Amino acid sequence: MGSIVGVNLALLAALLLVPVLGGAFFAWQIGLFLIYGIAAQGVGFAWGRGGFLPLGNALFFGLGAYSAAAVLRVTDGALLVNLLAMLITALACGALAFGLAVLLFRGRIGSGPGFSLVTLALVLIAGQIAETTPALTGGFNGLSGYAPLAGLDPFGAFYYVIVALVMLVSCGFLLIDRLPAGLILRGLVAQEGRLELLGFALHRVKGWAFAVSAFVTSLAGALYASHQGIVTPQAIGFALSAELVIWAAVGGRMSPLGPLLGAVVIGWASATLRDTVAWWEVAVAAVFLLVILFLPGGAMDLVNRALHRLGLGPRPKALPPLAAPASRASTATGALELSDVGLSAGTVTILDGLSLRAAPQGVLCVIGPNGAGKTTMLNAITGRMPTQKGVVSLGGRRLTGRAPHQMLAQGIARKMQVPTVFAGLTVAQNLQLAMLAGRLNWRDALRPAPLRWQGDTLAALLDDPDVPLAAAWLKSAEHLPQGHRQLLELALTLAPDPRLVLLDEPAAGMSPAETQIMVRLIRAYQQRSGAAVLIIEHDMALVEALASEVAVLHQGRVLAQGTLAVIRADPQVTAVYAGGHK
Amino acid sequence: MDTLVLFTLNATWQIAALALMALGLALVFGLLRIMNMAHGEFVMLGAYAPVLAAQLGLPALAAVPICLMMVGLTAWLVERLVVRHLYARMFDSLLATWALSILMRKGAELVFGRQFRNVASPLDGVTQIGAIGYPSYRLAVIALVLAGGLGLWLWYRRSATGLRLKAMVDNPALAQAVGINTARLSAMAFVSGCLMAGLAGMLLAPTLSISPGMGLDALIRSFFALIVGGLGSLEGLALGASVIGGLQSGLSAAFTQTAGYLGVLSLAILFLWRYPDGLYRRR
Repeated sequence: MGSIVGVNLALLAALLLVPVLGGAFFAWQIGLFLIYGIAAQGVGFAWGRGGFLPLGNALFFGLGAYSAAAVLRVTDGALLVNLLAMLITALACGALAFGLAVLLFRGRIGSGPGFSLVTLALVLIAGQIAETTPALTGGFNGLSGYAPLAGLDPFGAFYYVIVALVMLVSCGFLLIDRLPAGLILRGLVAQEGRLELLGFALHRVKGWAFAVSAFVTSLAGALYASHQGIVTPQAIGFALSAELVIWAAVGGRMSPLGPLLGAVVIGWASATLRDTVAWWEVAVAAVFLLVILFLPGGAMDLVNRALHRLGLGPRPKALPPLAAPASRASTATGALELSDVGLSAGTVTILDGLSLRAAPQGVLCVIGPNGAGKTTMLNAITGRMPTQKGVVSLGGRRLTGRAPHQMLAQGIARKMQVPTVFAGLTVAQNLQLAMLAGRLNWRDALRPAPLRWQGDTLAALLDDPDVPLAAAWLKSAEHLPQGHRQLLELALTLAPDPRLVLLDEPAAGMSPAETQIMVRLIRAYQQRSGAAVLIIEHDMALVEALASEVAVLHQGRVLAQGTLAVIRADPQVTAVYAGGHK
Repeated sequence: MDTLVLFTLNATWQIAALALMALGLALVFGLLRIMNMAHGEFVMLGAYAPVLAAQLGLPALAAVPICLMMVGLTAWLVERLVVRHLYARMFDSLLATWALSILMRKGAELVFGRQFRNVASPLDGVTQIGAIGYPSYRLAVIALVLAGGLGLWLWYRRSATGLRLKAMVDNPALAQAVGINTARLSAMAFVSGCLMAGLAGMLLAPTLSISPGMGLDALIRSFFALIVGGLGSLEGLALGASVIGGLQSGLSAAFTQTAGYLGVLSLAILFLWRYPDGLYRRR
């Protein structure tokens, strides 16, 4: 926590020096851009931490400002009532944002453009309504003639109210970064697919991120009403939305303080230069484009790099691990059963009435020529692709129709064919996320302790002399060699103690020695936990070493199932593999 | 009876104008998987072509070469410098074209000024349909959209370039392997998409008020038409433009413009949520 305190004290000192050094009018000017800065922090949070770009956050700013102005007018600025009203408006904005994000992101992964354009349309409509309904908003002239919050002088004491909110919001965002919630958001940006496999509902995670963004932006809008003494359609318009995005990008959307810096520096410079230098706004737009293309981390990225070079960067401290609670994935029981499952994409039938049973314990290896439907079968089990007929069930509970993120709670974990790890995160963070999976409840997301959770399965893996993950602890996962990445993904898959492990070509790209290690680790987990393991593999050495049973898939159907000896003797199987006629 | 005819004509006009405007966006998204957030700014740039022609005292037809030059050159530069590096990177291309749209808008404010402008229609007359007089220019644009859309549809189905484009959409790596110059084809597709946007802006200019900020509305309504119709096909585009254009003109006529806008937005959210593939799906 050392560096958080340091950063915040430095920020507070800088903010308190502004009126002392620059005078009251300068502090009033800076105050406006601090308010905008808080709103930009909201945008930066959604964009940098949530991975989606809201183009209409002035909607929440404007809602906060208009409602604050309306309440201030009626209550003559009384402190408590107005604070309460601000909070209620901000919560309402958060709820609206949550609902909107959940709706738009549930439709399909990667509906990024849809989300951005809908938020853009919303702010355009809001601007239009603000201009055309004078009864509600005062039209073009806006709402004015009300007392500021608690009667504080906008050119005097009100500055410290702004400073207080800046500090609260900055501390809040810096804290979230160090809590499980922040780690989950990093995982979301690094690798959505893996986060979903770890049992997190992506649309809800994004919904929370957008709700926080809207909440903060609305509070900033409420202060704007007192600070300016007037709220016009400008506060809810498209232009402000676009500027919030620019400030967040240029200042640095990945860092909680970047957008604040961007808003104060660019905003203040723009206000000063806009009228005298004709090309100023074009230059800002050009800088914005260059930052997007070449410096995604913005100015704060440069600052952080410089600090790092000076040896002032954050130093992660290793804290002793805590025993993790039992995983929800570990309680499932029973056999996996697929009966008459059909799945086709367009005109191509991939699964053609597939029926398969995997015993509640042991290792079932699924083999078959390329295109037999092996990976698609896993997609059908985990809800990644919709089936057209048939039923998939585990221990009698129906899996068909469930979403991919619900699978872990059903006891199912999956390792992908192409290793899917959180590439931008360190090995340690990858494993922390895996320990949260299936164990976290919503209160834990805001406590630091769950980040230290350690379970027997993961401890056994890390203690294994052949698993080189502990040595690469603080390395970014994208720099791991392929074989190590496979081991890391295996660790991510097994850490939540699943009862049914689906492994899609776990030995792909591994040397024979590494394959041996993989075999040993899979067998060790199966024997210790008594789980069922379903492996898709072409490597017959692995199949021979592990399989208690083998199923052969051909053209979307099970051709044969039994012990390896039985399968080897089956003339139909020989025909498929040796290229005999169908 | 007359009001019904008038409403039908107005709705047809709205739909044709929207289809025209959305075509470039559909082209770029369908062929390159890039959501071109600067689409509206190319429409805006095209709309300034007749303004410039009028300012320079040139005949109305001179707007066409001006538009092609201005929009084509900008699009070519943008493809070279920005978009080329972002093919198949959906979110990055969204960000970059968004930044580009702001740059183009601010640039237009600097060059053309912020004020709203109008240009005279090159076809002033009114055509009598029964008892109703309807502006001939609008009727001509409707006819042009119908003919152009049909021509494009046939060309895409029948021509060799259409086939190469389809190959590229289906599997860019394989298309490259069989000797299709996908880099050039992509550049052509992007520039053509932007030219379509520019021409749409030029054709619609006499019916709009022209300003640097006009692109936003064009972008959003085009995008909604694509969402409802289904991304990536001309048939979907026609369907989406009909639904969105029809709904908006209906609601605006019955209530207010804001209601029209809200209705269209709600429909788009509904589609993004429940039917992300849109109405028209290729079998």
